[in-house]
Amino acid sequence: MRHRVRRDLTVSPPPDAYELAEARGYGLTASDLRQWRPLSAIEIHWARKHGLSPGVARRWAREGVGILDAVRAVKLCIRPQQVRPWAAAGFLPGDAVEAAEAGMTLAEATAWRQAGFILPDAALLVRDGWTLDDATVARFAGVDRYAPAGR
Amino acid sequence: MLSGQRNKLLCETGPGTPMGELLRRYWQPIAGVSEFERQDTKAVRVMGEDLVLYRDREGNYGLVDRHCPHRRADLAYGFTEDRGLRCNYHGWLFDHSGACLHQPFEETRHPEGTFKDKVRIKAYPVAAKAGLLWAYLGPQPAPLLPDWDRFYSRGYKQIAISEIPCNWFQCQENSIDPVHFEWLHSNWSMVLRGQDGPRAPAHTRLGFDEFDYGFVYRRVRADTTEDDELWTTGRVCLWPNCLYVGHFEWRVPIDDTSTLSIGWFIDDLPGDAPFEQRRIPCWHAPVRDEKTGRWIDTHVMNQDYIAWVGQGAIADRTLEHLGESDRGVIMLRKRMFDEMEAVAAGRDPLGTIRDPALNDRVYLPIVGGLNRPAPGAGPQPFVFLAGQPDEVRSEIEQAWQQCATASGAT
Repeated sequence: MRHRVRRDLTVSPPPDAYELAEARGYGLTASDLRQWRPLSAIEIHWARKHGLSPGVARRWAREGVGILDAVRAVKLCIRPQQVRPWAAAGFLPGDAVEAAEAGMTLAEATAWRQAGFILPDAALLVRDGWTLDDATVARFAGVDRYAPAGR
Repeated sequence: MLSGQRNKLLCETGPGTPMGELLRRYWQPIAGVSEFERQDTKAVRVMGEDLVLYRDREGNYGLVDRHCPHRRADLAYGFTEDRGLRCNYHGWLFDHSGACLHQPFEETRHPEGTFKDKVRIKAYPVAAKAGLLWAYLGPQPAPLLPDWDRFYSRGYKQIAISEIPCNWFQCQENSIDPVHFEWLHSNWSMVLRGQDGPRAPAHTRLGFDEFDYGFVYRRVRADTTEDDELWTTGRVCLWPNCLYVGHFEWRVPIDDTSTLSIGWFIDDLPGDAPFEQRRIPCWHAPVRDEKTGRWIDTHVMNQDYIAWVGQGAIADRTLEHLGESDRGVIMLRKRMFDEMEAVAAGRDPLGTIRDPALNDRVYLPIVGGLNRPAPGAGPQPFVFLAGQPDEVRSEIEQAWQQCATASGAT
């Protein structure tokens, strides 16, 4: 397996042939890789597709938020520093975005986690109208297939 | 955990179902071109629709209703002519567009009649590419059949088909589940071999990205870092029902409780001398051990099959307990729900290609790069599926020798 040197913000070796081939696959040039450093080709591709600038993408990356979640966060008008309390509470920083989409507060997300649900799982259940109590019962008792509408 | 209603959305693929409508927006591989060297017709079932795939004497491929619209005879027993497929019961003839070309007795009795113009049979477009036959069961205009760059790599190609007795979606969830590899393929394989040594390197971190044609999953294991290609490049969960890891594994619903697993494989060859393969063989991979009646467990994809079938004919996701290793699975489900809504709203779903300029050797991320040097001193054992025919193995050895000789490597 090839081993690539990962670039960070303080060093800037030129991309190797393999990286350039990958970049071309995503419609990027060596110049794009330099401009967007330290993002990878697939991240640059996604950021550009959704109109994020290199600066914005980097700010989210510094908070530990991947480009998929960064794009969603920008759409939701979330600011990078808003994910810090989530990270401090032991969530993945990107979970803050998932929770925001589902309308969950940090306290609610924490309660769901304590009941055994990882956040993306909980968020989908919340969107479907589940309460934590009901979901907890169902999780361990099986879900009634003929439950009232909304479930 | 999913509600039963959500689970149905993911699993049901018949005509008119939301997932059925989504999957019908994509070309689906359903057979190998080489299967039609020895037969003209093949009965197929795709997303709950019973159909007949045929190749007429002019070389047109057709995919039509299994039953003749006259008296419902089985067209899998029909016979092909220069153009079209003729029913063996009363001789009605249909072409690949579904037009009825001939009704022998009706035309004898009423030469001026137009009955045949009023009769059509359900017909879907078929295209050949990369040794596969692809069908499009959706509304017109059809998108372009993806022209993946890997199809053009130098190497010996083969296709293997299996029928898996379970729902397609539990197969596809496996395409974005990195951690299973550590257990199902590494640790369990060691147990099966009677090895009691240390376990495989554990996964320590997972990452997921998205691109125009699906998701990329990335992993760091105890023996790798974020500098390795398993993290920097990752593996592809190819939208909507395929895994791409240098080879392709499509999971095409036969119906809601069975899946056609189509594997497209390529063996890298030594040197760089031109290599041309005249035909891509297609073979059928057994899933059960005939002696024991148990599922075959010796090969990578067979092990996957055991996991999928073990989840039940249709996995009951109301009973599951998802954890951190399942973030990719949840992401896949959410995107499926989104794309079902997109189709219902009349939009093209993710990954459909309509611009010919974009459909020229379409790039897919691949660990190791597209044109890789052949490893080792000879052909590698085929680790993916049990049952590789001797003639395929022999052809690979011949191709290897041919290329090694041409490059002076022997």
